[in-house]
Parts: sequence; structure tokens; C-alpha cells
Amino acid sequence: MGNQLSIANLNFSVIGIEVLLIGVATLIFLIDKFVKNKNYAFYISILVCALISVLLYYSPFGEFTRAYKTDFFTITLKEFIVFGTILILIMSYGYLQNYKNLNLGEYYALILFSIVGSFLMVSGTDLITIYLSIELMSFPVYFLIALNYAYNKPAIEGSFKYFIAGSFSSIFMLLSLGIIYYFTGSFYLKDIFIKLSQQVHQKEILLAFMLLLISFSIKLSFVPFHMWAPDAYESAPIPITSFIASLVKLAALATLIKIILLGFMPIKVEIGKLLIPIILLTILVGNIMAVKQDNFIRMLAYSSIAHAGYAGLGLISADYLGYSFALFYMLIYLIMAVGIFSVLIFFANYQKEYLYIPNLAGLSKKMPFLSFLILIFMFSLAGVPPTAGFIAKFYLFMSLVKAHYVLVAVLAIAFSVIGAYPYLRVVKFIYMDEEKLPISQYKFDWSFIIPVGIASVLIILLGIYPKILVNFVNKTLFLYLSTLYIPS
Amino acid sequence: MGSAFPNILSWILWFPLIGIVALFFIPRKNESLIKWTALIVTLIDFILSLILLLNFNFSDPGFQFVEKKKWLNFINSYYFLGVDGISVLFVPLSTLVTLLCILISWDSIKKKVKEFYLALLFTNIAMVGVFCALDLLLFYIFWEAILIPMYLIIGIWGGPRRIYSTIKFFLYTFVGSVFMLIAIIYLYIKYGSFDYTVLVKQSIPFDVQKLLFLAFALAFAIKVPMWPVHTWLPDAHTEAPTAGSVILAGILIKMGGYGFVRYVLPLFPKATVYFAPLVLTLSVIAIIYAGLACLAQDDLKRLIAYSSVSHMGFVTLGIFSLNHIAIQGAILQMINHGVVTGALFMCVGVIYDRTHTRAISYYGGLATTMPIYAAFFMIFTLASIGLPGTNGFIGEFLILLGAFMHSKVMAVFACTGVIIGAAYMLWLYQRVFCQKVSPNVIGLQPMKVNELVAIIPMVVLVFLIGFYPNLLLDFMRSSVNVLLMNFK
Repeated sequence: MGNQLSIANLNFSVIGIEVLLIGVATLIFLIDKFVKNKNYAFYISILVCALISVLLYYSPFGEFTRAYKTDFFTITLKEFIVFGTILILIMSYGYLQNYKNLNLGEYYALILFSIVGSFLMVSGTDLITIYLSIELMSFPVYFLIALNYAYNKPAIEGSFKYFIAGSFSSIFMLLSLGIIYYFTGSFYLKDIFIKLSQQVHQKEILLAFMLLLISFSIKLSFVPFHMWAPDAYESAPIPITSFIASLVKLAALATLIKIILLGFMPIKVEIGKLLIPIILLTILVGNIMAVKQDNFIRMLAYSSIAHAGYAGLGLISADYLGYSFALFYMLIYLIMAVGIFSVLIFFANYQKEYLYIPNLAGLSKKMPFLSFLILIFMFSLAGVPPTAGFIAKFYLFMSLVKAHYVLVAVLAIAFSVIGAYPYLRVVKFIYMDEEKLPISQYKFDWSFIIPVGIASVLIILLGIYPKILVNFVNKTLFLYLSTLYIPS
Repeated sequence: MGSAFPNILSWILWFPLIGIVALFFIPRKNESLIKWTALIVTLIDFILSLILLLNFNFSDPGFQFVEKKKWLNFINSYYFLGVDGISVLFVPLSTLVTLLCILISWDSIKKKVKEFYLALLFTNIAMVGVFCALDLLLFYIFWEAILIPMYLIIGIWGGPRRIYSTIKFFLYTFVGSVFMLIAIIYLYIKYGSFDYTVLVKQSIPFDVQKLLFLAFALAFAIKVPMWPVHTWLPDAHTEAPTAGSVILAGILIKMGGYGFVRYVLPLFPKATVYFAPLVLTLSVIAIIYAGLACLAQDDLKRLIAYSSVSHMGFVTLGIFSLNHIAIQGAILQMINHGVVTGALFMCVGVIYDRTHTRAISYYGGLATTMPIYAAFFMIFTLASIGLPGTNGFIGEFLILLGAFMHSKVMAVFACTGVIIGAAYMLWLYQRVFCQKVSPNVIGLQPMKVNELVAIIPMVVLVFLIGFYPNLLLDFMRSSVNVLLMNFK
């Protein structure tokens, strides 16, 4: 491509999707004031997302300057993200019908902006682009949490906590970029890779990477950088909680994996070793803290911490199996999160008391079908076969054992036994206790049925026959790795 | 070989699924239709498993009725079913126990009827799956999947302390099995297959065998349960509804013994020999300790639960005596114990439904008010003690004979267990059925038709096996011989 940048040289078709998204999001901001019925923004965003999922399929591979590149890996991830976004948009629609003060065009526009950020993030090939796109992904989320101020005064606190944690994340990242630049003279991942494979300054770069890891740990809410998570989750509007818990983490993890693969391949084993204590602590703390939570959202917040930890196990094993199954795990978690958070939205819409776990007592008598769905989600989160949650964990443990981290696998699996308790507890209240609360009027509308239906069917289906998705995720990374390093 | 009925194992395994699907569509108000559907489905399933028995070829020690289809190509895991002399008897036992459980719960389950029968059918699938699966991953999935319905059965329909018991049950078994999962993964990584028939042929280094043995044995020991990890059993048995206790006693704890014979002995022969003294000691402790514990109980079900621990001690004693008499005896004793203890729990269920108490001191002179019931109870009491002519005698005799050939000391200590067994069972009988007629038992209803129908097959089995044990021993002889080749 050469070094000179001229408009004619630029391959705009590659970033067409991001441009389209930014355009639509900006449009919503512009016209929002003039439209009375705010549901228009939902329809526009869902249409755009549907359109994008088709466009992605035909989207060409290629570079846009050296900082941005689409290939099979990024396109696949973007498809996953769009899939999640569509489900979360649908969930939001149902939620916003009952929480009208949130029903603003900006709500959807901010989600779209955040998605643009995550798109750029997974396709970025230099660290500055990645840094900027992380910011682009995060800032809309701070606003989205704060929007909930209308219903929940502590939302400001949650948002601010997240913002401060996010700022720390940025600071660490910048610091790390500085050191990396000092030793390698470049922000491009490929250049860093070349420098590293010459065996120079590996230790210093590893130190720098540690800072980068801290920055990502904050986004992925690894312990001990998780303090913001429960507060932010609790105060956000519920669809946004599921957005932070699943999609943001999926994008961040994918980016981290991509950074390691593209730039830090020679030190990936050391990176894996660095992560061992962090990941094990994350799983342990997440699971233990979830045990005693009575607030459903808070329980899921800690559970989300633990689940990010499980996905992180894939980074420890530091081979392509581990990486691809880390992504697979986050994808499965995304599906489970969509399911269970949709149920929470349903509760929030019709009877808020049910967001407090002991109040769920005897729910199975009044809503047998809904209770059964919760049962599926809970056992899947606990990782009991034959659900997708088990399959996802199984592959990760397999990659760990394969990489000779048997002890890590044993510890992680022992912690996961603790982690089963909070989910069992929910099932216990629903099925085994006498009913407490009368139920108010409710109806199942499509914004509830679609996400919950997709999630529960996928959980069972992937639990019994995961082959297709597993092969697909594997192929993604495998192709990626094989195309990356052939030239050098 | 199996040509009379193609894919019969799959039919037996998945036939209850038809019932599950049908139950989903039957309105929950229509309880009698729900019960009849479940009954007919399990009856057909039982008949299918009898067809399996009739087509079984005694002289072939290998696996019969084999079905092997690709399941998860990517990790080389198969949908691989088959039975040999060791496992074939457990299949009809599972279907029979489920059938009888449905009969015995006909009137005693009054709440959430639909869920109860769904859970029972689901349990049936998982139980048969455990005994048929020859792919370790498939086996593990069935092994774990059974926890979900059992957790619900104990927790929803159980007694006053059901929630404590069910969570204890779940966590205990979960702890055991997750380590087995790691061991399975390790085997896969090392030998590239989950296929049992492939793994059996590998010679695993001794150090590795020891660790894998411990991981597998922990899972099976908790399930059996062996002393000192038996503490979940008295709680779970006591609090479970009658059907739950019968399934626990009849099948679930057999899965542990079966696991030892099927997986631990052939896969880790050297480690088995190395650890055999330890396991034998624990077995003898279990026999005596649990027998003594029985003497101190004032709760009918708790007493029978402890007697289960004692009897299963005989089973592990037989298995680890590692000669062909003892192992045949152990397998036979597992079937016998399933029949006798299952029947005893049914009997306790019968009076519990009438009086709603399990305290032994509450009863007295029951033989005068319920003479037929007393006769049945007497038969099972004697079978449990091991009176010649009943099936209990054959099993215990073979085990003690084999154990004596292996280690005289162990056999002598184990024999004291038989005496203690006679003491607590007869004393129980005396306290409940003889003595002065307690005012509490006057006017109790005689046995109902469904209870009679459920108990009579067990009586038939007690005498059938007692007088003609070759009926069952023929099935296992050649397979056990092949199994023991590893130790020559």
C-alpha cells in the first residue's frame, strides 16, 4: 500500500459499515427533537443492524490504511456482535415501553455508537486505533448508565464509578503504549511482532503488556479490577446491564486475543502465565460473592465476573484452541445473558419485587413456563450438562489440560462448584419454597418472547449438538492464524 | 445379535422422550392423563429393555447392540452405545425402577404433578444413558444430567429438610464428578479419544494411573457412597419423596459401583491393585460403621439409608477383591440391593403416606392392622439380612467368599457386618410390627392396588434371584472373566 496517503488509495468499501452506522446514529441525534413517537429510533436501529448483518456477509476483506483491516476473524466477530445487539435492542424496546423517561432516540443512537466502537476495536491493527475505539465503545455506555437517573438515583454513582474505572483503564493503556513505543518504535501490531521475534527487549515489552492487561482487565472486570462492576450493573437500565456484561466483554476479549495474536505472539506463553492468578482469583471471587446476593441483578453481576474469568482461562492456555474457546465461551455467555436478563426485564416491567431473589419463592406455581426457562438458564450458567454452559466450560478445561495446566484446570473446576450454588439457590426459591407474593397482571409480548426463545433454544441445542458453532469458531481463528504468518 | 430389533439401545434410551414431549402438551389440570401417559411410556420402555435381555448373547464377552455415530467430529467424540455382561442388567433395572416409581407415587404426589413425571422420565433417560454410554464424554454428560431432575425431585417433593438435603446432594456429587471430568479430558488429550474401547487398550504409566484413579474414584466413591463421603446419602434419602428414595437406592448409587467396574478396573489396573487395600479398608469401615449407625436411628428412612451405606460397602469390598466370584457377587449385590432397598423404601412410603411420620417409636403392632403389608415388609427384611432363599444371600455370600479368597482379615470383619445387619433389621421389624399395638396405627387403610402392583414384582425378583441366581450370573460371567484378564 505504500506510505503515501491519498484519497484515491483508500479502500472505503472496507469501512463502509462503520460509516453507515455512524451516519445513522448521528441522524438519530439530529432528528430526535422533531419526532414525537420515540419508537422510530428503535425501528431505524433494528433495520440498520439487520442490514449490517447482511452487508457483513458480503463485505470485502482488506485494509483501510495500515490501522484498520477486515478479515474473516473480524467479520465473524462483527456478526456475533450484531446478533447480540439485535437481541439487546429488542429487549430494550420492551423495557423502554414501561420506562418511558428512557425512551429517547439518544438511547438507541448511543448503543449504535458503542457498536461502532467495538467494530473498530476488533478490526484495529494498531494500538492507537484500538485505544481510541475502546474509548468510543465505552463513553456511550457511561451515558447510558447515567440515563437511568430518571428511575434510579444512584445511577449517577454507578455511571461515575464506571467512568473512573474506565479512565484508569485508559491511563494504563496509554502508559503501556508509551513504553511499547519506546522499545519498538511503532504502534503497529505487526511491527511489534517483528521486533519481538528478534528477541530484543522482550522483558520490557512484557512489562508494558502487563499494563495493557490491567487496562483490559478493568473492561473485562477481572479481579482485582472488578469493583466498579456490581454498582454499574445494578444502576444501569437492565438491557444496558446485559450489554455491558456480555457484548462489551466479548468485544474486549476478542480485541485482547487479537492483540496477542497479531503483536505479541512470541510472548504469549508468558502472558498466559501472568494471567493465572488473576483469572483464578476472578473465578473464585466472582463465585463466592455471588453466593450471598439477594438482589438478582447483583448476583448476575458477580456471576458475570466469574464467567469472564472462565473465558480468560482460554488466554492462559495460550494456544489457538484456548483462544478460540475463550471466544466461544463469551459467545455462549452472551446467549445465556440475553436469556436471563430478558427474564429480569420482564420482572422489572410487571413486578419489580421479583428482582429480589427470596421474593421469587413459589414462582413455579404461578408461572410454570417462565420458571422452567429460568431453570434452563440457571443450570446452563452453573455448567451442568446437557446445556451449552457445560459444553463451553468443557472445551476450555480441555484446552487447559492440553496446555499442561492441569492444576489450574482443577482449581478452576473446583471453584465452579462453589459457583453452582447461587444458581441452585434461585431454582430452590422458585421451585421449592411456598409462594409469597401475589402476581400482578402480565402478558408475554414479542420483545420478551424473541430473545428468550432464541436463547433457550440455542442453549439446549448447543448443549446437545455444539459441533457446528464449535467448528465455526475454530475455523475463524485457525484461518486467521494460518493467513497471518505465512508471509514471514 | 440385536438384529431382531435394530438400534434397540437408542430406542430404550430415547423412548421416554416421547413421553416428555407428550407431557408438555397435556394441560396440567388433567392429572390422570399425565399419570397414565407416563406409566404407559415407561411400561413400553421396560418391555423394550426385556427384549434387550432376551436377545443378549451370553457367550460373547464384548459389547453387543453397539451403535456408533459421529457426534462431535472435532474432538473425536462419538454417540457410542453398547452393553456387555456388566451393564446389561442395569438397563432393565433402571426402567423397572422408574416404572415402579410412577406406580408408587400415583396418589402420594399431589403438587406439581406434571413436573414430577417430567422429572422422572428425564431421570430415566439419564440413568439408561449412564449404563449404555461407551464414550466417556457421553457418559459424563448423562452422569451429570441426572443431577438436575434429582435435585428437583428431592427439593420440591421432599420432606421438611428437603432444601438442605438437596443442595448437599447436588454439591457433593458435583464436586466428585468435576474432577472426573478433568481426568476424562486428560485421557483424551493423552490418547486422542473418548472411546472406551480404545482407551482400554492403552497402557497408561503407573504414576498417571494413580492420579487418574483418584479422580475417577472420588466421583464414584461419592456416588456409591463410601465412608467417609457418605454423609449426603442419609440426608438425601430421608428427605426425598418415596420415588426419589427408590431411584437413589435403586439406581443412582449403583452408578458408582458400576463406574468402578466399568471404568476404574479396566482403565487403571495397576493403580487398582495399588489402592485396593485402601478401598477394602474403607469398605469394611463402611460396613461396620454404617451398621452401627443403623442401630441408633429412630427414623425409618434414615435407618434404611444407613443400611444402604453398609450394603454398598459389601459391593465395593467385592469389586476390589479382584476375583471373579467377588466381582460377580458385587454386580449381583448391586441388583439385589436395588430391588430390596428400593422395595423397603416403597414400603416405608406406604405407611408414610398414611401417617406422615417416619419415627419408629410412633409405630408398634402394625402387623395386626396391616397384615399383608407386614408380610411384604418381612420378606424384604429377610432379603436385606441375607437369609438363604432370598436374593440378598447369594450376593453377600459370593462377595464374602471372594473376599475371603483375597484377604481373610477383611472377610472376617465384613462378616460382623452381616450380624449387625441382622440385628438392626430384625429390631426394626420388631419395633414397628410387633410389640403392643400403638394407638397411632389403629384404623390404617390397607394397601392400595397401585402399591401392591408396585411391590409384587420386587417380591417375585427376591425369590427368583434367590432360588436361581444363574439367571443373572449367566449374563455377566464371560464379561467379568475378560475384565479380570487385566489382573493376571
